[in-house]
Amino acid sequence: MDLLANLAHGFGVALSLDNLLFALLGALIGTAIGVLPGIGPVATISLLLPITFGQPATTAIIMLAGIYYGAQYGGSTTAILLNLPGEVSSVVTALDGYKMARKGRAGAALTIAACGSFFAGSVATLVVAASGPMLTSVALSFGPADYFSLMLLGLIISAVLAQGSVLKSIAMVVLGVALGLVGTDVQTGQQRFTFGIPELSDGIDFVAIAMGIFGLGEIILNLERPEARQVMSGKVGSLMLTKEEFRRSIPSVLRGTLIGSTLGILPGGGAALSAFGSYMMERKVSKYGHELGTGAIEGVAGPESANNAAAQTSFIPLLTLGIPSNAVMALMVGALIIQGIQPGPRMVEAQPDLFWGLICSMWVGNLMLLVINLPMIGMWVKLLQVPYKYLYPAILMFCAIGVYSLNNSLWDVYMTVFFGIIGYIFAKLRMEAAPLLIGFVLGPMMEEHLRRAMLLSRGDVVVFIERPISATLLALAALTLGAMLLPNLRAGKNKALAE
Amino acid sequence: MKINAKDVWAGGFLVFIALFGLFINGGLFGIGLEQHALGSARRMGPGYMPMLVFWLQFALGALVIVAALNSGPDPLERWNKIDAVALASGIGVGLILWQLMERTGATSGWMQVGLPLLVGMLILSISPAWRALGLTLGSFVAFGLALETLGLIFALVALCGISALADREHTLKSTAGMTVFLCILAWFVFIYELDVRIPLWPTIF
Repeated sequence: MDLLANLAHGFGVALSLDNLLFALLGALIGTAIGVLPGIGPVATISLLLPITFGQPATTAIIMLAGIYYGAQYGGSTTAILLNLPGEVSSVVTALDGYKMARKGRAGAALTIAACGSFFAGSVATLVVAASGPMLTSVALSFGPADYFSLMLLGLIISAVLAQGSVLKSIAMVVLGVALGLVGTDVQTGQQRFTFGIPELSDGIDFVAIAMGIFGLGEIILNLERPEARQVMSGKVGSLMLTKEEFRRSIPSVLRGTLIGSTLGILPGGGAALSAFGSYMMERKVSKYGHELGTGAIEGVAGPESANNAAAQTSFIPLLTLGIPSNAVMALMVGALIIQGIQPGPRMVEAQPDLFWGLICSMWVGNLMLLVINLPMIGMWVKLLQVPYKYLYPAILMFCAIGVYSLNNSLWDVYMTVFFGIIGYIFAKLRMEAAPLLIGFVLGPMMEEHLRRAMLLSRGDVVVFIERPISATLLALAALTLGAMLLPNLRAGKNKALAE
Repeated sequence: MKINAKDVWAGGFLVFIALFGLFINGGLFGIGLEQHALGSARRMGPGYMPMLVFWLQFALGALVIVAALNSGPDPLERWNKIDAVALASGIGVGLILWQLMERTGATSGWMQVGLPLLVGMLILSISPAWRALGLTLGSFVAFGLALETLGLIFALVALCGISALADREHTLKSTAGMTVFLCILAWFVFIYELDVRIPLWPTIF
């Protein structure tokens, strides 16, 4: 079996001491920021990106991935204990999880959240391992026109699934593509939009944008809002599930895993959407659906499994096609490019250590999270008692030193401040920044494929609908956009994504 | 009509950036600064993709404005007089300082960007509504200004001192304690562990 040999190779990579250590570090940091409201995985990963430059690519990506799925675990802990979802993806968990905690079953809710997540994560890891090479072989037959259409589809789906108005999100994607134009034109070497500033000839630094908008911007908004923190009510109680609870949660975990694995692949979908999808499904399908909202274990088991499965499978488009499906994945693309690796279908062959090592480390990381999280619940809860007034200067410090050490240039520091202002304006005008980041990462690649495709077709636009793959992808993109014009669907989407 | 003011401003922002981009690209009906070669659809020059992107952005921004005319009401947060005055004088003083530094030649090491930015941010934070914005970003700029000449420790003192003002719960004691802790943490993580090349102490003496 090819798959088994590859997985064995991957475990060899993932279980090396360094990678094991950094997976653990990533998972711990992820859990911590998942527990803490006000700082999410996007800000953290952009903050820690510069620190990973010195490491080998595989180790760096393993750690960053650990932060991402660790955050899913941490977010659910506070959602259950304090009715305070640390991440958007655990908003749904708070509905039934907190009610369970009030009934004295917090321990059981935490256990099923962790075990469900672990099960879902394991299955999703297998899905990634099995579908990765398959999709890759399809992707290798893609021409430039097909690539362009694929990226267009990815951008449109991510804009459609973003919060708020679709029109504004698409405009934000385009703005991101426009920002990506800054720098040296690859084919002619001409400087574009650099205003004669040599620092801009390599383009705007991706970390400066991410840190400015998601790091600094978030801090300012948090400081403007008065702090509202709840005190934990009651005790955690026994971590053991009763027989009844165990029996009831199995089907929910299975359904959640299925939904999460599927929705996670969608660009822009990811953890939050699948958690909500799973909750809806439990309400309709489960025998105990009517109990949902009153502290039913299904309401924790399903969504928690779903969001973790989705966190894993959202790596599929990145690893096989080089297309990021959400803002975190866009950061991963940035990390890979900085390491000199072009994400795309050739990665499986060219970087087997990275591909299989990452997949196996996800499973290892999930296991670690299960082991470290349950016994350490008390410690994580203590973390919540660190007031925000000590937290934000620390975040600022990591941002400042991190962004300076990118190129040892103060230019990057001031660029980050500039994007902090921009991020603040975006937040005030309700312009979604996540689609912008995806557009910024995909823009330069799209331009290259567009120019190549048009050169091959001698300037004939028909090439995009002549090639079957490209035509299908464009049709899907048009369909997605068209679907959003239906009022019913739009209302459903807004409900699904409302926090 | 129920105007969605947030969306009107958002659309205006997009349109403005699009026109600005087209102007630089030289695609705005032949007027413009750099005149990037357009090329043809077959052999696209460096100006072709920017032209497509900015025209698309212009159209989308205009659509956002049109859609906003009847989807509100969603007004902007109210501005006091002091908010407007602080914003205007912050930008004004910053620009004057920029010009002064240009004339006197104090432009090395991006100081010409940093100093006006810092002064502007501090003036901005006089108004309570801009306080968090001005002080957070101001502390970040101060860090940049201090780092290469005064070293990491003093840069962090500036960062902590200014950013602590943004949260009224901070006292002198809590700020001092936090600063010491963060200095030690930064030294351990970035200098001792990661070996980042940053001067720890002042280098100008």
